[in-house]
Amino acid sequence: MTSPQISVHNLSLNLGNKPVLSGLNFAIARGQFIGLIGPNGAGKSSLLRCLYRYWEQTEGEILYAGKPVSDYPRRAYARQVAVVLQEIPSQFNLALFEVVAMGVTPHKTLFSTVNADDKLRILEAIERVGLSHKAQQQFDSLSGGEKQRAMIARAMVQQPELLIMDEPTSHLDVKYQIQIMELAKAMGVTVIASFHDLNLAAALSDELLVLAQGTLVAQGTPLDIITPDLLSDIFGVCAEVETVPGLHRSAPGVPHIRYHYGYQL
Amino acid sequence: MKALLIPGLILACIFSLLCALSVGAVSLSWGEVWQALSNYDSSILTQKIVVELRLPRTLLAFFAGAGLAIAGLILQTVTRNPLADPYLFGISSGASFGVVLLVALFGVQSALALSGAAFAGSAVAMGLLLLIAFHKGTALVENMLLSGVALTFLFSAFTSLLLYWSDPQAISAIIFWSLGSFSRADWQWLWLPALVVLVGCVLMLLMRRSLNALLVGDESAVTLGVNVHRLRLGMLILASMLTAVIVAACGGVGFVGLMIPHIVRFFISQVRTVGMLATALSGGLMMLWVDVLARTLIDNQELPIGVITSAIGSVFFLSLLIAKKRAASI
Repeated sequence: MTSPQISVHNLSLNLGNKPVLSGLNFAIARGQFIGLIGPNGAGKSSLLRCLYRYWEQTEGEILYAGKPVSDYPRRAYARQVAVVLQEIPSQFNLALFEVVAMGVTPHKTLFSTVNADDKLRILEAIERVGLSHKAQQQFDSLSGGEKQRAMIARAMVQQPELLIMDEPTSHLDVKYQIQIMELAKAMGVTVIASFHDLNLAAALSDELLVLAQGTLVAQGTPLDIITPDLLSDIFGVCAEVETVPGLHRSAPGVPHIRYHYGYQL
Repeated sequence: MKALLIPGLILACIFSLLCALSVGAVSLSWGEVWQALSNYDSSILTQKIVVELRLPRTLLAFFAGAGLAIAGLILQTVTRNPLADPYLFGISSGASFGVVLLVALFGVQSALALSGAAFAGSAVAMGLLLLIAFHKGTALVENMLLSGVALTFLFSAFTSLLLYWSDPQAISAIIFWSLGSFSRADWQWLWLPALVVLVGCVLMLLMRRSLNALLVGDESAVTLGVNVHRLRLGMLILASMLTAVIVAACGGVGFVGLMIPHIVRFFISQVRTVGMLATALSGGLMMLWVDVLARTLIDNQELPIGVITSAIGSVFFLSLLIAKKRAASI
């Protein structure tokens, strides 16, 4: 048994005096696709922010490859962990190519320049997300789905071992929701992604983490986790769960939720 | 074409420098200018004009323009606010306050003392800004901008109060100072702005990747391995130093720091090294010509620099905006 890629021990986070996360414990093995689900305000983004070191936890420890994350210099950590955020502000006429090219940042020292290899890597990443024809267009002029694909391309250029995604599909068309998640999966690295769409999470994830009110309430395979009981206890909805075929014929089925409507009646 | 941008700008700067040396109250031929530069003889008056008077002020104009332009670029980048400008952060109002304090309370009017007071005033403003904005280590962009605006008003209030009690002669000296001039340039002190601007330029180029990462948000920059707080603090200090030294040497010169980065951005992306260099050179180039205009527009009189930069700058800037809008709508 190899050691987990990232593990969280008794993690708590307070913002101001308000506890946001309390007593989280979990471990994630290399190569897994982890879906993070939970109702609004459960602490999904806060947990991810601790994992990618935008915030520092109040208590507890996060180990990456067995070492506390605070032991990694920021640049070294960024060579291991890439992040795709929900929204990207930009108003300085940046071209898509330039935004994707930022992925080389953690691999460069002060004096090094972008060489031919880097350039090739950037162009390849743009090609893989299907945006080659827009490489010189302004980032601002792209649609939401294109921006997210560009951010995946940036993560590819970063060559990480772990990809963290904070609701990268929240306001995208169905087509792009699936496309972006499959692009992430195709990178072949460990992925931790938070989801709003439980069916999408269930279909793609090897394992689900369920957060509610800042605590971890369940961790397991989608088939084990997605049950009518959990949906009513945690998400407050009535639903049936059936099993449908998974992505591959060999894989066990994945749960599929059919919500019930008409709560006000 | 973009490969020729930097060499083209450098050539334009050299050409403009020679022009600036030949025009003025006494018109000199290029031959005389060349003679003065290559084979200086201090007993000849025209050569003395070129080397002792025009060369230092022209160089100061170049460095001031370049320095303000890169200070503007840095501040716009670290605050992600296209309206940020070296004067928005209270640095120049701090300098004005220092000068006014010296003139109004002690009646001192020597150029060197005024520069020293301006620098001290900017340093105080900068220190206060850092103290307020970085209190508890939270360097939020909004905090920084708001503190800067508040400090500007605070210093302006004190300045106005002091001016209210000053005699008319002191007031006119202060107003002339605050509008900016390169006439105080001399060889003895030129090294300071030159050094600060060159060092600032090199530091900005070295940190360009981290600076660029900030353009798409703090959080995104953190995930690229940038230490955002340290970078922002360092760059803020750098931009403040640039502004303080330039304001001390030539008074308040508005609009360059805001405008030049925008003009360059119309043509070339700022995330490229070429874009950053072009910003510095364009700032210097523009200021060279502003100085020429200041010296030649009215016979036997020198116009304040700040008036020209703001007047020409705003008209040029507006016409670029309109042209850009028209191009976009076609």
